[in-house]
Amino acid sequence: MSVAGGTAIRIEEDPEPAAQGEIPAFADIVRGHQAMVFGLAYHFLHDRGLAEELAQEVFLELFRQFDRIESPAHLVFWLRKVASRRCIDQIRRRSFWPKLRLDEVPEPAMKTDGRDPMLSRALARLVASLPEKPRMVVILRYQEDLAPAEIAQVLDMPVATVKSHLQRSLDMLRDKLARTVGEIAI
Amino acid sequence: MSHLEDELKTALRRMEPPAGFAERVLERAKTPALPEPAWWESLAVLLRPPRLQWVALSVVMSLMIPAAGVYRRERQERVEGERAKQQLMIAVRVAGNKLHRVQQKVLEMGRMDTRI
Amino acid sequence: MKMLRILTLCMVVGTAGYGQALDLKHLDKLSEKASETADVTLDGSLLKLAAKFLSADDPDEAKVKKVVAQLKGIYVKSFEFEKEGAYAESDIASIRKQLQSPGWSRIVSVVSKKDGENAEIYLRTGSPEGGVAILCAGAKALTVVNIVGKIDLEELSDLGGKMGVPELEIEKPGEKPKPPKKDD
Repeated sequence: MSVAGGTAIRIEEDPEPAAQGEIPAFADIVRGHQAMVFGLAYHFLHDRGLAEELAQEVFLELFRQFDRIESPAHLVFWLRKVASRRCIDQIRRRSFWPKLRLDEVPEPAMKTDGRDPMLSRALARLVASLPEKPRMVVILRYQEDLAPAEIAQVLDMPVATVKSHLQRSLDMLRDKLARTVGEIAI
Repeated sequence: MSHLEDELKTALRRMEPPAGFAERVLERAKTPALPEPAWWESLAVLLRPPRLQWVALSVVMSLMIPAAGVYRRERQERVEGERAKQQLMIAVRVAGNKLHRVQQKVLEMGRMDTRI
Repeated sequence: MKMLRILTLCMVVGTAGYGQALDLKHLDKLSEKASETADVTLDGSLLKLAAKFLSADDPDEAKVKKVVAQLKGIYVKSFEFEKEGAYAESDIASIRKQLQSPGWSRIVSVVSKKDGENAEIYLRTGSPEGGVAILCAGAKALTVVNIVGKIDLEELSDLGGKMGVPELEIEKPGEKPKPPKKDD
């Protein structure tokens, strides 16, 4: 059995929440998917501490609902869905009250495989400034390489809306990036 | 895929969390969550009469401590401090709970609107 | 166990405790009719003493310590009644009048017919000191909270969500998301 990323795992079906003996298997699941969940949270929230807290809560929720997972593909879908939803809720909570702190958190070093790290950082910041739903659409598209139909299912949104968010976001990012770092080839 | 999209794939690639993340998750998963008392239960326990009068009075009384030696003063401060701390926790819990409930109500209304 | 409904009301009067605090004295008489009462007045040295005794080792207390770091005062009047009609509209009106004075802005007003509890939240905008007033009125409950000083409402609200009140479920029971099919 394998999941996205090629990590082999064993999911044990049990009516009870993951018991003591299953924790090693669950540990593998966490390690196998932590980059995906943390990445989603970090790129969305742009706050390392909040992203880790949110990612932990997603896995704890998984631990509690482990028996409802039907397959490795379902597991990945579940993690994306819950992580996305919690990210959007988090932003709504944060933006609900006036007087927001602007936490200046130094950004972690990113592996860019020889590409311009400044450009990557600028892009990541611009993505984090998008409205919440288009932001998550963009992150699911480019971090997870999901097709619009898949994004639509994760976010419970019409496919046409996903495509519209994607197109508008790309236009916005292209425009803002051009003003920030100069023209880039399309 | 355009150049911008390539750059987005690089900028938004998956990221490993800080070291020890899985261990922290497992630690929390192993620890059974103690049932949290509802905030009003904590409040009710503290505020049952005649305890209410005792708590309210203790705040007033704490302002009239006779000076009687360093040890006694420190002990008194400890007692008062703990009482004041309890009150503070209650006040924060009450205020926070109310804010949270209002926020949840408004967010729920917002979610209902977007489903239409 | 009775469900306490809290109505918090903040009034700025300038006589009680701190200069910016609301005048809530007229609510004290309600404790005679109330089955449950919360009465907290913490400011000045007593507030500092309370904060000093918050433990950095306890996660909840550590969070509270952070939230209250810049407070000057916190005042709570909360009542639960056996019967409806225990408090008068005039009790609330006199508080609202204080909150309608310059320097206060109402930022949220929720009228709920579902649970019969109405809530209003005000921010003290006319003073560099800052402050918050929370007013919640239900048929059998009344709560007023007045906070003087700077406070992060987001953090306070988070505390309210985590300290004893469970968060809403992310997924509804019975919901089984299906894995998607690629269509390209």
